Amino acid sequence: MRVILQPRTLFITLSLACLLAIWLSLALGPVSLPLIDTLRAGLRLLGLPVAGDNLQQAELILGQIRVPRTLLGLAVGAVLALSGVAMQGLFRNPLADPGLVGVSSGAALGAAIAIIAGASLGGMPPVLEPYVLSIFAFTGGLAVTGIVYRLGRREGQTSVGIMLLAGVAMTALAGSIIGLFTYLADDAALRTLTFWNLGTLNGASYARLWPLLMVCVLVILWLPRRAKALNALLLGESEARHLGIEVERLKRELVLCIALGVGAAVAAAGLIGFVGLIVPHLVRLIAGPDHRVVLPASALAGATLLLFADVFARLVLAPAELPIGIVTAFIGAPFFLFLLVRGRT
Amino acid sequence: MRSMTKLTAILTGLLFTHLASAQETSQRWVSAGGALTEWVVALGGESHLVGIDTTSQHPESIKSLPSIGYQRQLSSEGILSLRPNILIGTEEMGPPPVLEQLRGAGVKIEVFSAGADVTALQGNLKKLGALLGDEARANQLSEQYTKQLQGQHDWVAQAQLHQSAPGVLLLVSHAGAAPMVAGAGTVGDWLIKQAGGRNLATHTGYKIFSAEAMTGLNPQVLVFTDRAQNGASSRDALLRENPLLAATQAARNNRLIEVDPTLLVGGLGPRLPEAMKTLSKAFYPTDGSLNAKVSPAQ
Repeated sequence: MRVILQPRTLFITLSLACLLAIWLSLALGPVSLPLIDTLRAGLRLLGLPVAGDNLQQAELILGQIRVPRTLLGLAVGAVLALSGVAMQGLFRNPLADPGLVGVSSGAALGAAIAIIAGASLGGMPPVLEPYVLSIFAFTGGLAVTGIVYRLGRREGQTSVGIMLLAGVAMTALAGSIIGLFTYLADDAALRTLTFWNLGTLNGASYARLWPLLMVCVLVILWLPRRAKALNALLLGESEARHLGIEVERLKRELVLCIALGVGAAVAAAGLIGFVGLIVPHLVRLIAGPDHRVVLPASALAGATLLLFADVFARLVLAPAELPIGIVTAFIGAPFFLFLLVRGRT
Repeated sequence: MRSMTKLTAILTGLLFTHLASAQETSQRWVSAGGALTEWVVALGGESHLVGIDTTSQHPESIKSLPSIGYQRQLSSEGILSLRPNILIGTEEMGPPPVLEQLRGAGVKIEVFSAGADVTALQGNLKKLGALLGDEARANQLSEQYTKQLQGQHDWVAQAQLHQSAPGVLLLVSHAGAAPMVAGAGTVGDWLIKQAGGRNLATHTGYKIFSAEAMTGLNPQVLVFTDRAQNGASSRDALLRENPLLAATQAARNNRLIEVDPTLLVGGLGPRLPEAMKTLSKAFYPTDGSLNAKVSPAQ
């Protein structure tokens, strides 16, 4: 595969793009704040002694809405893209996306139960109430992935082939149960579920952000350490074993990372498609298949793409807002096609 | 640098005095509920509205207001950009984290009932009247509504002396396809009952029925509403997509009545009594003489 950009150039470009995305995400929104107010409010939030007169609105918008939203976008984008790389490496299949081991469908099932049956569950302690949907989604994702992983185990070995098929079957099963809940749902719950399936960064607050951030940071720090092992796995399982990689342990780690990362991302922001599948391909098209580059570059690219998509999503229909899942595919897919066509000639 | 800060201070100062004066002179309301928006307008509060959700479709004059999207998928910063003091909506409004952020930003959030019953409506009107500072008018509208319903009730009672209540189904479809049937707890069900019909569907909420099940219930009157079309084309679409319906008494006797889909969303709205009157007349067609004596829902 041709390398379009050297790793160093790629990282510099991506970092600049990411900084630009962060800046736009903090500076732009339906409420138009003067640039200087945004800056001053930002400095004040960092604890610097800047005069705070007439800054209440800017501080509120920046501190309570845009900063948590930007952090959420960065974390979710990075984790989804990283999980995508891990999936494609684990299954040695370019079509693998994090949904394949059942995380997404499990999370969607959990969410459907919370949205549609939530009211009749009742008796939730009020402290937990804002988290019910997230907890159900996260648990659903972990549970279904756990089942898929168990089904893939044979005599101490994990067969990725069987895991893949088990994932497809579990996704179908979860889909049919979601269908049943959809049928039982009233109109309002149905709309909520539909929107949840398209994902959003709207309504991000610190309280709901911290659990996700902790999981995401763990995954973001952990996965790139396994870059060499993933490179070896590219050659095939037995080859990797001969190279001294503990393949079973690697698989277990990868599945756990994917389940935790995607589970947390989906629980916080709903199902955001495209990032996990396409961003790794994008990076590989540009930088070649070396996981030592692909992993960190995908994390940066995923975070950047999601932030750009979010800025677009919140501005294009303001004061209403587009679900971000629509935008990621709308921006990303044509760009990906462009790279594909360019690579062919 | 110093002149720069000075300039910004002046500019922001200007901006904020502008904001402050706008807030002092008028209340700025955002409404996230179709029926509520109609009531605000009916109570003379249209000038307060600065934003509406996608379920607010009536009256025509409010359609030029900025749309804040669907009531369950509100955007905090989007709403804040309209600088409202009050956000009104039903308990369906959400998501909760966004409402929390809005509350934190000093927007007063007033939640109303979307329940399809008169007590809920009276409560809503009372609250709206208090918020708008025109309780007298709210009381008047509330009493008028109750009176209209009472008149309607009397008319139906009279009509039922001559004819038993017809069995009715209310279908909501999209260009005729996969009609959903209104069951208990819906505004549609309430409308049928108030108009003197017997809702043949016994489930709760809206459910998709097979054409066979609908035909099996054999309604005497079909009330339908279409989100995609209206008039003769929606009626044709319904019969074309569901040919079995032609076997029902309703289709054979040509008793298909269309209602406006926006009537059925977000609780009881001000246009319902009018729709009810039309339905009643269609439910009890032989009572032309009665129409002259006790006119319904006046």
